[in-house]
Amino acid sequence: MQTGIPEPSRSHPQPSSELGRVATAPVIEVRGLRKTFGSFVALENLDLTIPRASVGLLGANGAGKTTLIRTLLGLIAPDRGTAKVVGYDTQTQGVHVRERVGYMPEADALPSSTTAADFVGHMAEMSGLPARAARQRAADVLYQVGLEEERYRLIKGFSTGMRQRVKLAQAIVHDPELVFLDEPTAGMDPRGREEMLELVERIYRTMGISVVFSSHILEDIERVCDYVVILDNGRLISAQPLGGLGEIGGEVVVDIDGDRERFVSAIAGRGVAVRQSDSELGVREIVIDVHDEQVYDLIRDTAVEQRVALRSLRQRSRSLEDIYLGDVGAMREETHVG
Amino acid sequence: MSAKAATASAPGAGAPPSGVGYGEIFDRGYQHYRGPRLGRRQAFRSLVGYSIKRAMGIRKSWTAKILPILLYTAAIIPLIVMIGISAVAPQVEFASYSAYFAAIFTIEGIFVATIAPEMVCPDRRERTLPLYFARAITRSDYVVAKLLATIVLTMTMSLLPAVILWFGRQLIADSPWRAMQDHVGDLGRVILLGILIAVFLGTTGLMISSLTDRKGVAVTVIIIGFLLLTVAAQSGFQVVDSEWRRYFIFLSISDVFAAIADHLFGNVDSDLVDVAHFPLWAYLVYIAVVVVVCILIIRWRYRPQD
Repeated sequence: MQTGIPEPSRSHPQPSSELGRVATAPVIEVRGLRKTFGSFVALENLDLTIPRASVGLLGANGAGKTTLIRTLLGLIAPDRGTAKVVGYDTQTQGVHVRERVGYMPEADALPSSTTAADFVGHMAEMSGLPARAARQRAADVLYQVGLEEERYRLIKGFSTGMRQRVKLAQAIVHDPELVFLDEPTAGMDPRGREEMLELVERIYRTMGISVVFSSHILEDIERVCDYVVILDNGRLISAQPLGGLGEIGGEVVVDIDGDRERFVSAIAGRGVAVRQSDSELGVREIVIDVHDEQVYDLIRDTAVEQRVALRSLRQRSRSLEDIYLGDVGAMREETHVG
Repeated sequence: MSAKAATASAPGAGAPPSGVGYGEIFDRGYQHYRGPRLGRRQAFRSLVGYSIKRAMGIRKSWTAKILPILLYTAAIIPLIVMIGISAVAPQVEFASYSAYFAAIFTIEGIFVATIAPEMVCPDRRERTLPLYFARAITRSDYVVAKLLATIVLTMTMSLLPAVILWFGRQLIADSPWRAMQDHVGDLGRVILLGILIAVFLGTTGLMISSLTDRKGVAVTVIIIGFLLLTVAAQSGFQVVDSEWRRYFIFLSISDVFAAIADHLFGNVDSDLVDVAHFPLWAYLVYIAVVVVVCILIIRWRYRPQD
């Protein structure tokens, strides 16, 4: 699959068993998924294909992120539609899915009166690893998340950051193909958040484990993800590689000497989206959407035709925030009008 | 945690072999797991074992081990003393099975009140349940594993000392091997009663514990509940003067098991048991119904919260 997403430095091993059949398959495939809670529609007719990547699941609180994760883990049954995770149907093969997938919940979910090593080892066994291998994996993974020294301490003495690391360790201790991280930076101080983001980044790039990173913080997703899925009110707004957002949805800011209104009308007359807006400095700007490279030729030709001088032409990539606000806004407007 | 490889020669170690440094430190990096994945069965086994260890206070602070140790001591030490006395003074009468089961029932009740809340309350209180349900088990597996762990642990109290009692009785005989052969039927009945007590107390204790996330509340409800039911049964039996008073026995769990012990071994001295006089199957059906209802309630408590 050509996704435009950078490959991890070390690919996840593909066992020779039946899992080999899904080696090149998307990590998540969702078709027509709908889930309601009473009259509240949590997920609405979701169609989604997610490649092996570090995927950001973006949406405001109540957008349907956690419901989608719980559905993909096979923990709740959808009203309609199907979902496959790492090649297994979430409804009929939920145990197989959960054997191969890790989950870090948003809420604090750790027992207080046990050591990190004991608990993480137990969670490895709960994913099917033999006892000895589970203990070894627990020690290795706690080292990876920076808790080697503290692994034999009771969890109740841990700070918030350390507890988050234990939650992360238990999610990857069984070497899953995919890990769901539900708001992993929630409630952390700036330093702890930075460290957690570094760890999340390593999970895909160094460990080769695909990541679905649920968050409502755009900056976090932009920092660690290669692919973004945007949800709003249970609807899919966008699903695309993050690196391509600027190229696909970029804009140019054009400054001219001459009749601005005629120039703008001429551009618009050629079917290109154009608008005039005030910059942060209060300067009136002409902003033209760039959907393909020919738009640059069209701007030059129009300037010649309208006898205006092009003073500057400045590329402005759309940030994830622009995309989010633009797409979500458009979808809400469409829904409202509809 | 960037990849690092540093070398540090050990003092006095001399020159290391070419290409290899003494005391060399390597970044372990991340190793993928390539061993077997044993799936749901291993997850189930692990949950049962881990639950038993936690309930017994294993790998927890020493205070968590005190009560289980005291209760085991209370159940087993008197038996060993009895066997010792009988060995040196054969004329001393050994406790009957019925008397033994009646005497130990309270200790078994306290034991269940200790372990059953420990099995399920912390998972709910500390919100560990979502982590369990996100592993290679189903919700039913979780319920069955917890039930199994509780019942197995209760059997160490209801069955193990009773089997020791049986062995003790045979060992002090003139011909222990012959005595064992002659009394193998007693062993079967001891095992049956021990299992019935464990299944009943374990299931009801776990059901009560599943209704709350607070261990203290569960412990209190189990102990007070059993006591109140027994008092209600005895009071009702004394107050009501009709044929129907025999049914009060089903409120008093200790008397139900005393009645079963009476059927199996005889020698039970209880007015309520004598008056009730139900056949053995009636008590077995009662136990089966209570156990099934408790299992259904536990299952309901762990249904998906859609």
